[in-house]
Amino acid sequence: MRKSSFLQFLAAVVLVAAIPATDAAAQAVKAPAKAELCFACHGPTGNSENPQYPILAGQTARYIYLQLKDFKEGRRKDPSMDPMVASLTREDMLEISQFFAAQKPAPTKFKADGAKVAAGKKKSDEVLCPMCHLGGFTGQNEIPRVAGQHYDYVVKQLKDFKARSRTNDAGNMTSVAGTLSDQDIDNLGHYIANLN
Amino acid sequence: MHYGNRLTGIAALSAVVFACTGVGAQEISGGATTAAKPMSPKLAPVTQAMLDGAATNANAWLHSNGSYEQTRYYPGSQINTGNVAKLKPAFVFQTAVMESMETAPIVVNGVMFLTTSYNHVYAIDAKTGEEFWHYKHKMGPVTTFCCGPNNRGVAIEGGRLFMGTLDAKLVALDAKTGKLIWETQIADPEKGYSETMAPVVVEGKVLIGTNGGEYGIRGFVKAFDAKDGKLLWTFYTIPDKGHEGVWAENDATGRNMKRDIAAEKKMLAEKGGDFYQTLGGGVWMAPAVDKKTRTVFFVVGNPSPDLYGAIRPGDNLYTDAMVAVDLDTGKYKWHSQYVAHDVWDLDAVSPPILTQAKDASGKMVDVVLHGGKTGHVYVHERSTGKLIRFSEAMIPQENMWVLPTKEGARMLPGANGGVEWSPMAVNPKHRLAFAANLHQPMTYHVEESAYPGGSKLWLGGAFKTIPGEDQWGRLVAVNLDTGKIAWGVKTPQPLIGGVLATAGDLVFNGEGNGWFKAFDAKTGKELWKYFCGAGVNAPPVSYMLDGKQYVAVAAGGNTQLDFKRGNSVFVFALP
Repeated sequence: MRKSSFLQFLAAVVLVAAIPATDAAAQAVKAPAKAELCFACHGPTGNSENPQYPILAGQTARYIYLQLKDFKEGRRKDPSMDPMVASLTREDMLEISQFFAAQKPAPTKFKADGAKVAAGKKKSDEVLCPMCHLGGFTGQNEIPRVAGQHYDYVVKQLKDFKARSRTNDAGNMTSVAGTLSDQDIDNLGHYIANLN
Repeated sequence: MHYGNRLTGIAALSAVVFACTGVGAQEISGGATTAAKPMSPKLAPVTQAMLDGAATNANAWLHSNGSYEQTRYYPGSQINTGNVAKLKPAFVFQTAVMESMETAPIVVNGVMFLTTSYNHVYAIDAKTGEEFWHYKHKMGPVTTFCCGPNNRGVAIEGGRLFMGTLDAKLVALDAKTGKLIWETQIADPEKGYSETMAPVVVEGKVLIGTNGGEYGIRGFVKAFDAKDGKLLWTFYTIPDKGHEGVWAENDATGRNMKRDIAAEKKMLAEKGGDFYQTLGGGVWMAPAVDKKTRTVFFVVGNPSPDLYGAIRPGDNLYTDAMVAVDLDTGKYKWHSQYVAHDVWDLDAVSPPILTQAKDASGKMVDVVLHGGKTGHVYVHERSTGKLIRFSEAMIPQENMWVLPTKEGARMLPGANGGVEWSPMAVNPKHRLAFAANLHQPMTYHVEESAYPGGSKLWLGGAFKTIPGEDQWGRLVAVNLDTGKIAWGVKTPQPLIGGVLATAGDLVFNGEGNGWFKAFDAKTGKELWKYFCGAGVNAPPVSYMLDGKQYVAVAAGGNTQLDFKRGNSVFVFALP
């Protein structure tokens, strides 16, 4: 009952976002000028090569926008991101979000360990990750898509949440991450990075 | 008020949509429309006198809850206990939006105005269902809302309709054409504000509250000029000073709430009271208006964050309270708080009803009622707010008020109530109020969490339904003069949507499984039912046209409890 509701819910949200996203993609992938600031680290299509920078391609526009806003307003801190957002206006952030959301995520080169993937899935079900991120880790509402995200980035975020050095999560991730061991985090990293 | 699905989980519940562009493609399905029929020439402006006299006008349904008193008591009796068994659909109107419907249609001069999720409005022929026009609101780029992209209906005055939108605007439409006359931004959707309630119009003022108690807003009721959308007054449901209140130890029914008041006072002394700016206090449902005393009555929702109370010391006034303000100025008159420093989201949502009831000495006095998520119907003296009585509990209560814990503490009722936003109805002759209740056993979990910036669900924990435990609903009739339960009908699913009472001694109520039913007001005996094919989770209305009484109700399901979605308004009449 629960799951079906979340899925229906997701269906609604995805459709909502899908129409404009397709339009944007169809209108030739014209990047907003300010998006070029992002390319050096995140790549011209949001598929970053360096695994410490998150893949933005296919991330929800809502999530990207909220993170940009959080960086700008100081709720999330990162030495590379802080100077980047300083010059962005609300409209820039909305445009950038829409641009990356409309890009297609490419598979990473990460080679997952089968045993760790299985352990990560088990942990994920146990601590109810899918309740918010959904079964395929595709995200919903302000909850990000993390399926296929870089292992290094996922692990760093989980560790930051655990250490409370990242706290712009409305309390949900800091709480869950507090219950995870380093091994759990490693396993979850393998599981999530291995999803498509 | 709400957080989501019967399911819940941490953030899982709310419906927060980020429409990425201004392309206006918000709705789920196609925006196609049926061929428009020319608007009926009979549609005439709705005068203030008509709005004032709505409670006794069987021909129309002019307010979302029937009248300024909001009794949802329809004065006609053509359909009654003797013949309701023969009730049949007269027509079904299908909208183009397949998503939860909470609309209470407005009907005047044979024209029905109804709304859907994502702020579509339809004007249709109230006799045949043919469409006159279809308005689609052009949604802004960011919307933040809990519990579904719902809308509960328009208000009407003169030749204009008024609707609140998910992107926190108020729009005025030409009732004849559906064209936009003006729109005004009520509050910032990026800070968690949105609108789903039906406004109320009185003497050229459009009254409207706000959603957002799940996002750390500062709630309000505002009055806008019906002419041009200019703001006339604002009453903040969270005062900048004094929101700590009287440090109440007990709830309105006298039960201890296990507050650590010393710790709260220390917190307030150390950190100050600036958190009023994110303390919540949404107003989800239409206010009642007493023109005689020029008073507006509404109930205020939960404090933010819902479950984590440590960072918001004090009673958190005026959350979880009934509030009365001056109609002309918005100035405070009185308040009566049900739950101080709420950490369960057992707040106040169902709209107030103005009627009469016996006071403690047996004298009939003017009262204002509220059906609580706690499971009680509260009866207040209308002039002072003093609580005269509260009803017997309509659903099981258990372990109240155990504090939420990290692991989860079980308490009944669950966080959806009791009575959710569902409007009650009253039959004054039988001295009864009818309330649609839920029973959903839940555990309450608390998590420390700082204000996340306005556009993220901020519960400070979670409400979780308990797997394996039955959930059900109960339609309950409560005696206004004694608080005793006259009858109760258990339903297989939790009830959400609202009730209609009629002078035909009937009570109409819908269920999430698709059944729409009529009951004998005196006994609760089921007299009629019809299967609508999708959740009937909207307040029914009734009207008379060319000598025939109709009963209309939307069957669009419900996001919050995940009842099967539909897109239709069913309209019934005797053959």
